[in-house]
Amino acid sequence: MAKLRLDRIKPLVALGAFLFAWWIIPTTLKSFLEASFSEFQAPAWVATSYLDDLENFWARRSHSKVELIEAGREVARAKSLYQFNSQRKETLENEIQRLEAILNLPSRREFRYEVARVVRRDLNAWWQQIVIRKGKDFDIPVGAAVVFSGGVVGRVVEVSAFTSRVELVTSPNFRMAANFEGDVRPVVYQGLPQSGFGDPLGTVRDAPQDVIASTQIPLKLVSTRLGGTFPPGLMVGRVSWLEPGNTGIFQAGEVELDARLLSLHEVAVLIPLYPIDLENDVP
Amino acid sequence: MFLDPRAILLFGANVLLLYLTMLVNSALVGWSIYLLMLGPMLVFPVLYLRHQSYFICTLLTGLWVDAALPSGFGLFTLGFLFAGAFIFQMRIRFRADSNYHLIVLAHGVNFFCILLVTMAMGFAYITSLGFWLQVFVTSLASHLVLLIVAPWFFNFERMLFALCRLEPEPEDLPIL
Repeated sequence: MAKLRLDRIKPLVALGAFLFAWWIIPTTLKSFLEASFSEFQAPAWVATSYLDDLENFWARRSHSKVELIEAGREVARAKSLYQFNSQRKETLENEIQRLEAILNLPSRREFRYEVARVVRRDLNAWWQQIVIRKGKDFDIPVGAAVVFSGGVVGRVVEVSAFTSRVELVTSPNFRMAANFEGDVRPVVYQGLPQSGFGDPLGTVRDAPQDVIASTQIPLKLVSTRLGGTFPPGLMVGRVSWLEPGNTGIFQAGEVELDARLLSLHEVAVLIPLYPIDLENDVP
Repeated sequence: MFLDPRAILLFGANVLLLYLTMLVNSALVGWSIYLLMLGPMLVFPVLYLRHQSYFICTLLTGLWVDAALPSGFGLFTLGFLFAGAFIFQMRIRFRADSNYHLIVLAHGVNFFCILLVTMAMGFAYITSLGFWLQVFVTSLASHLVLLIVAPWFFNFERMLFALCRLEPEPEDLPIL
């Protein structure tokens, strides 16, 4: 009879013992367990991503010669435009350096761009993250900025051996300093819980009272050097309405983000060329 | 035997289900649909295996899910073991030979998982209408898809037992 009772409460006893063990296990051991399981899963996702690339390669191979020639022409046109822009950029950079030297300005943060494929997208009510195909093998640091052709994508929150997890700009956990284009005063951008209907949204706070936004002339919210993660001028989103915030001193409003954020295939990670120097870097 | 070989098979099947679900989720991002289908992972181990094998299989599955999803590490491990202990206690009431009871159980566990992750990850946005709207859409889509996926998954697990010539019947049922 006693054995029978013990049998019946066995699952509860085991659960209680496990809960106690989980409670006393050191955090380092839990982190080790998490990292081990994550690294064990990573090759499957990397392999899936490479299979995707292969599929795209074979899909492109099926294009006709006429289509390929036309695509080649377009690439050649784009290449000549980019070559011209590159020369112009070089000239402008030299000019900026000359002026900075004359004015004895402190140094700016420089970044290296690491382009990475998106291997997985996890966007839902609870988290808004993507996984990219580069990690410690490409010296991706935690906290690095991630961008794409439409502007800011997010920030690296976890780095594994071959993959990294990126918190998207749409996530409520994501917050950054920003400013409106043509206005140097900083504002605070934060992601919002997404409803899943319509384009992704964020929110902007601490906007000065004299800033006016309208649907006819929406304001462009861009990144600023403040915080040191993002280079200035990267597009965050558009603000078409501002209203007095909770304090009444500043304004707040919704930020319309780029819809392409939901279907990213390739992003660029900005890796600082040297660590942040709070004393000498431009804020 | 320390570990029932079926526990390893069931863990493998769970890993496959999670991988396929995440692949589908990755592709469905454009439509703002997300599927959370963790319910079926718990059903076979809890109904078919002895306690020791069930525990190891569920623990490994929980750790695997926790490592794959950005939720707090340990959330699904503890959640699975909690739900598993609850179902294990009354598993005599469920008929494992037909899919009907199994599907009902899968839906129950899945709903518990959605509730768990909502409480753990969404507590800060509890006043946001958008958040609840997306939780509702996610729950609805997940449970609708589960109506198709759960029977397939259970039949797939039975097929694995048959292929590996393992015992297709539940064991260690409690004596009343």
